[in-house]
Amino acid sequence: MQQVASSVKKQTLLSTRLRERKAPTLSMAPMIDCVFLLLIFFMVSTTFSPMPGIRVQLPPPGKPNTEKPKGLIVRIANPSDGQREGVMVLNDEVVEIEQMFSRFINANEEQKNMLIIQSERRVLHEQIVQIMDRAKQAGIDKIGFAVVARE
Amino acid sequence: MIKRKQKDRDEDIPMAPMIDCVFLLLIFFMVSAIMRIPPPFSVNLPDSATKHEFPRKKYNVFISQDGRLSVDDQEMLTLEDLDLFLAANENKISTLIIKADRRAEHGVVIDVMERAKQRFSKPEGQEIALAVSEET
Repeated sequence: MQQVASSVKKQTLLSTRLRERKAPTLSMAPMIDCVFLLLIFFMVSTTFSPMPGIRVQLPPPGKPNTEKPKGLIVRIANPSDGQREGVMVLNDEVVEIEQMFSRFINANEEQKNMLIIQSERRVLHEQIVQIMDRAKQAGIDKIGFAVVARE
Repeated sequence: MIKRKQKDRDEDIPMAPMIDCVFLLLIFFMVSAIMRIPPPFSVNLPDSATKHEFPRKKYNVFISQDGRLSVDDQEMLTLEDLDLFLAANENKISTLIIKADRRAEHGVVIDVMERAKQRFSKPEGQEIALAVSEET
């Protein structure tokens, strides 16, 4: 018991003596470690890449279109239960999404002026984006939306 | 012996300039870091081959699968809330980016676009972007 106590005393003595002898310097290494960590965190979380999206140009407010629009009209029905896509009708014909692009490309110039998407409310956003994608690829820049009004 | 020790110490890499550099870099990245503010629900963006590029900014409208709306992390309970928010921040939003889930209903997306159209009174019409997924 006594031995342990004496050794502890010796140790504390030793350590205090060491402390006294050491010059009081700021240790830089841990701070640099921290700063580097922060740096790496910010470097990784920074994204310089722009966000991809589809541009939609809305007409100025307060001017509803009264003239009969010229252009292609795609009508989309609500998807039936368990189905993800609603039936699409282009010029009174049922069209699959795969055929959409060739239909758009082969349309005449006057029709290519504009695409109007008439859809029901429950049609999924994905399907609309796919049609817009095909239209933009086929060179149709103006896309209009028409939906059944909210109940 | 002592002499060599001193010489060793002299040849240490000077830390101060490096720390200066690192701090500068740190500040640069901190300032340029755009905090990604996650919405209160998960959103899976739809795929598309057409991709226009838009800068990442604050004030994105998120639309969830079940029709919930939020602007950044602030949930909008009704369309009127969104309307008020858009009105309050009209000048801060140049391009309204709508991040709608791929399974969101198109009707809700249209409602949001309609509100945005009414709210922004620019003569040339407001630019809106529908965000698509980043995977190619």
